[in-house]
Amino acid sequence: MIRALIIIAGVSLAAWIVGSQLPARSYEVRVLCLILLAASMAQSWNIIGGLANQISLGHGAFFGIGAYASTILQLSYGLSPWLGALAGMAAAMLAALLLSLPTMRLKGPYFALATLAFAEACRVVANALPMTGGPQGVSVPFLGDSWAMLQFRAPGTYLPVFIGLFALTSLVFALLANGRIGYQLRALRENEDAAEVAGVATLRTKLIGSLASAALTALCGTLFAQFTFFIDPDSVFSVSAISIRMALIAIVGGVGTLIGPILGALAIVPLEEVLSATLSQYIGGIAPFTFGLVLIAIVLLRPRGLASLPGLRLAEGGRP
Amino acid sequence: MSPRVCVRGVTVRFGGLIAVNDVGFEAAAGEIIGLIGPNGAGKTTLFSTLVGLVRPAAGSISLDGARIEGRKPHVIARAGMTKTFQNTALFPGMSLLDNVMTAAVVREDLKSARRTAEACLERVGLRKAALANVADLTFPQKALAELARALAVKPRVLLLDEVMAALTPAEMDEVMATMRSLRDEDGMTLLVVEHHMRAIMRLCERILVLNFGRLIADGPPSCVSADPDVIRAYLGQDHAHHA
Repeated sequence: MIRALIIIAGVSLAAWIVGSQLPARSYEVRVLCLILLAASMAQSWNIIGGLANQISLGHGAFFGIGAYASTILQLSYGLSPWLGALAGMAAAMLAALLLSLPTMRLKGPYFALATLAFAEACRVVANALPMTGGPQGVSVPFLGDSWAMLQFRAPGTYLPVFIGLFALTSLVFALLANGRIGYQLRALRENEDAAEVAGVATLRTKLIGSLASAALTALCGTLFAQFTFFIDPDSVFSVSAISIRMALIAIVGGVGTLIGPILGALAIVPLEEVLSATLSQYIGGIAPFTFGLVLIAIVLLRPRGLASLPGLRLAEGGRP
Repeated sequence: MSPRVCVRGVTVRFGGLIAVNDVGFEAAAGEIIGLIGPNGAGKTTLFSTLVGLVRPAAGSISLDGARIEGRKPHVIARAGMTKTFQNTALFPGMSLLDNVMTAAVVREDLKSARRTAEACLERVGLRKAALANVADLTFPQKALAELARALAVKPRVLLLDEVMAALTPAEMDEVMATMRSLRDEDGMTLLVVEHHMRAIMRLCERILVLNFGRLIADGPPSCVSADPDVIRAYLGQDHAHHA
């Protein structure tokens, strides 16, 4: 646990030092915020995807619910996104509970496909509802720089917000991973029958992990909406840009480890930016194609992710 | 006083196959009971049914008077009955200590669970390997690790499915001494499946014999080994006449 706290504090401090050197309106500071957001999203996914190996491809549902809950409450009632985030987290936990009832006994590809279908259903429903703005999406009204309404003109001003998000998601992951629940999640990941016979309430334990994971993902969604000022169902409920990307970053970095989502985000987000800035205009779809290749390479060569690279032996022994 | 374990008319079906057929017995506190029978007789299925991994089609199972059939395995484990897995079912991505701790963190905080796990490892003689990854253990060590994890459940009834299969005679003696101490010091009831006949005859005061899912004998080792039905089950029809 002490090592986890050092990693979280070290990465947060490094992000702060790098960010404070960059101009507040620069492209680079925006990318830094996106890296922290991506690491937070992957870390939220990692609670259930990594510790319990329930490979969800549907976390876009919780992300979209978080993004829309705060934005709609803000548009309709002028509610601060700080409170909207809590509403989004509650709504996402409710969605996770409903999703868990039929899916928590599923494993492997069956679970992955069921969750994928759930997120896709959420996207289709969101496109049909009037309050989401449908395919046109909705904009967060800009009322001037404000901590109360969590909105700023310059991306650099968001840096402490995303550092806070990163620290929170990582801390929750570390507390769960190193706590009693972490033992039980890893045990049921390895052998559900043996875990049950040892006294682990496997369904209840998975449910707790799913709820924590969904709530944190919804929080990421709210902050994403505040950061971009515009959301539409196709982007926040996106299968490739949200659901699969969350899993991809965690898997590339090192699934089930604290450091994995951090390494994954550091590798994937800059790659995304470079690809979209250089090649995308010539070759359509080059970014997802490249991620496919990266994922195949990692799964074949380094199934335990970048965290298992020599010199980065932080995933040793399956401990987070 | 109700017996520690009371099994009545338990039947388990897998599709058209009757794996366990109308089995009934009682076990008192502090008994060591052997469960033997030819391959496929239903020994492991009976164990799985007792701990809740398999639902019986009929019959009742009670633990200290409370009915437990059809309950989830973790409920039965917390009520005091657990088993080890034949051919072992450890958690491979975790250290030996973490494997054993998992059974203890269910009830205890981490510090206390760690002490419990260390004591259980000590008891089976694996204390020194505590930090090894279980994938690196030898097969006999894995079997002992299964035993340690089951002990961390703090059961009153422990079902042991061939924990001695890969052990040397000296190691077997040690494990049997551990089993006797579990009975004598902890008052535990043990049900033991083992293919090693000499060991089981020495260890147990009472033996149950299963054949094609049916309980065909229940008694002290001397009676059971002389029983014509048992000899027929093990050696075939012809030998029963000569015995």
